[in-house]
Amino acid sequence: MNKNLIYFLSGTFILFNTFNILAQNEEDQKLNIIVIGAHPDDADNKAGGTAALFAKMGHRVKFLSVTNGDAGHQDMGGGVLAKLRRKESEEAARQLGIEEYKVLDNHDGELLPTLNVRHQIIREIRNWNADIVMSPRPADYHPDHRYTGVLVQDAAYLVIVPNVTPDTPPLEKNPVFLYLEDHFKKPTPFQPDIVVDIGQTFDEKIEGLNAHTSQMYEWLPWTERKLAEVPEGSEARLKWLEKTRSGSITSAERESLKKWYGKERGGEVEYAESFEICEYGKQPSEEEIRNLFPMLSKNQ
Amino acid sequence: MKYLFLLAVILSFQFSVNGQNQEDEPLRIIVIGAHPDDADIRAGGTAALFADMGHKVKFLALTNGDAGHTSMGGGVLAKRRREEAKRSAEILGIEEYEVLDNHDGELIPSLHVRHQVIRRIRDWNADIVITHRPNDYHPDHRNTGIVVQDAAYLVIVPNITPDTPPLEKNPLFLYLEDNFQKPNSFSKDIAVVIDEVIDTKVRAMAAHESQMFEWLPWTRGVKKSEIPEERDERLAWLKKNEIERRFPTEKTFDREGIKAIQKWYPSTDPETVKYVEFFEISEFGKQPTEEEVLKLFPMLNKKE
Repeated sequence: MNKNLIYFLSGTFILFNTFNILAQNEEDQKLNIIVIGAHPDDADNKAGGTAALFAKMGHRVKFLSVTNGDAGHQDMGGGVLAKLRRKESEEAARQLGIEEYKVLDNHDGELLPTLNVRHQIIREIRNWNADIVMSPRPADYHPDHRYTGVLVQDAAYLVIVPNVTPDTPPLEKNPVFLYLEDHFKKPTPFQPDIVVDIGQTFDEKIEGLNAHTSQMYEWLPWTERKLAEVPEGSEARLKWLEKTRSGSITSAERESLKKWYGKERGGEVEYAESFEICEYGKQPSEEEIRNLFPMLSKNQ
Repeated sequence: MKYLFLLAVILSFQFSVNGQNQEDEPLRIIVIGAHPDDADIRAGGTAALFADMGHKVKFLALTNGDAGHTSMGGGVLAKRRREEAKRSAEILGIEEYEVLDNHDGELIPSLHVRHQVIRRIRDWNADIVITHRPNDYHPDHRNTGIVVQDAAYLVIVPNITPDTPPLEKNPLFLYLEDNFQKPNSFSKDIAVVIDEVIDTKVRAMAAHESQMFEWLPWTRGVKKSEIPEERDERLAWLKKNEIERRFPTEKTFDREGIKAIQKWYPSTDPETVKYVEFFEISEFGKQPTEEEVLKLFPMLNKKE
């Protein structure tokens, strides 16, 4: 056989194997990411920029809200609010360019880590054929967030067990489970294992958040007694949102950015989102993380 | 006469340190796992050593394991696994292997299950209770850890599950080893060298045919054709794949492990030790002194 042909064939073989690492689904080399928040807007808030980056690169992102958010307002509630928030979520998904934003009908403020909800989550992760699953840590500030963390942890491993929720076929491989950022210290502080530069998609992230009008301009400012500070007019509101939602980069995050992007670029990143690798589920090597987060490559 | 009485009181205090029972009576150990095979995997060697010395060991599985297979499930699988557990108990020489009928993959730390556990610990009159940490990999393991932690202390309260008389003293509660780091890593408080009984342990694990040769290899992508058919080859394969995977010789004896072996086997060179089961002392339940640990684990500190 011709030497070049051998090189070509072995190259193809290596490429094929690399793709195998990339996704549950061999034929379809797109990555499948599901971000599971407690309320419609949580996923956007903690992973909107990263989601938009994945979407731009052709990967499939789904946001899932485990509650319908029907308690998140001072003058509205129940089904009326849930309906509004579902609509806001659809608009946010459009702004971010992601495939889908699903809102489950569990009541806001009343989420418990029951078997029923665990099974809902197992089905969602399986049906999305997920390579990456993100959720809050069980140490976050809101009980719904904490129980979302517990529920997703409990789904890790069980997603591969055929006898569990047998109405939905199991995944062939346990996905990587990641936690969304929070600032709580106990029992352990959040650890920014993976930090994504979202400078390229920061505007989309803000547009996505802007879609959650009932939250960004009504409910959240009300809880902080800052309703008077909310500007009128869409331009001014976007500016205000940008100012209040840009976040800051901790020294641990800066170190992680330098690890993933190199000293120079890592030192300059302005806007970032951070993720901690959960001990349950797949434990990826550095190379596997780069395959699962192709935006971490230095040339992107 | 007075002095004799005093002496008797002092002596009986000393005896009572040893266990719920009198000193000459055997120790009573209960190992509580989530599934039929968990206790065997993490404490089978220690159980066999206790049994050899005439102490009473019971294994308890909180779920019936009815989800742990690719092509079987439900009551049929639960029945098969109960049989496997019974055979494993015979091989280890322990008194009993009880399998509760809670569904696999659905264990919730409910009051109902907590009461089941309190009754079992009391009925066994346990000196030592061993279980998973609440941060192990499987939700059933985590919830087993929570339920047993919740039983610690309550086992002595007469108004709790009053259908079963309370224990007079809180037992020693221990955790089985795992590799998880958050919120804290497993602490190797007690080391039990199981070299003497490793083959017994492997044979006991092999009794869980449905798990060791069918379900667990499947979850790791091992092909059926890679698993030998012949009995001795199967045991060798199991030892290599399940024991050495979980207890790799280089990794088992990290600094902490060596320190624990040296502490409990001061006259043994850790280099000569191959297989160890480590246990962490739970903060709930009895907090033993070093001397009390030696009484509760009479296989420790044995001169080689």
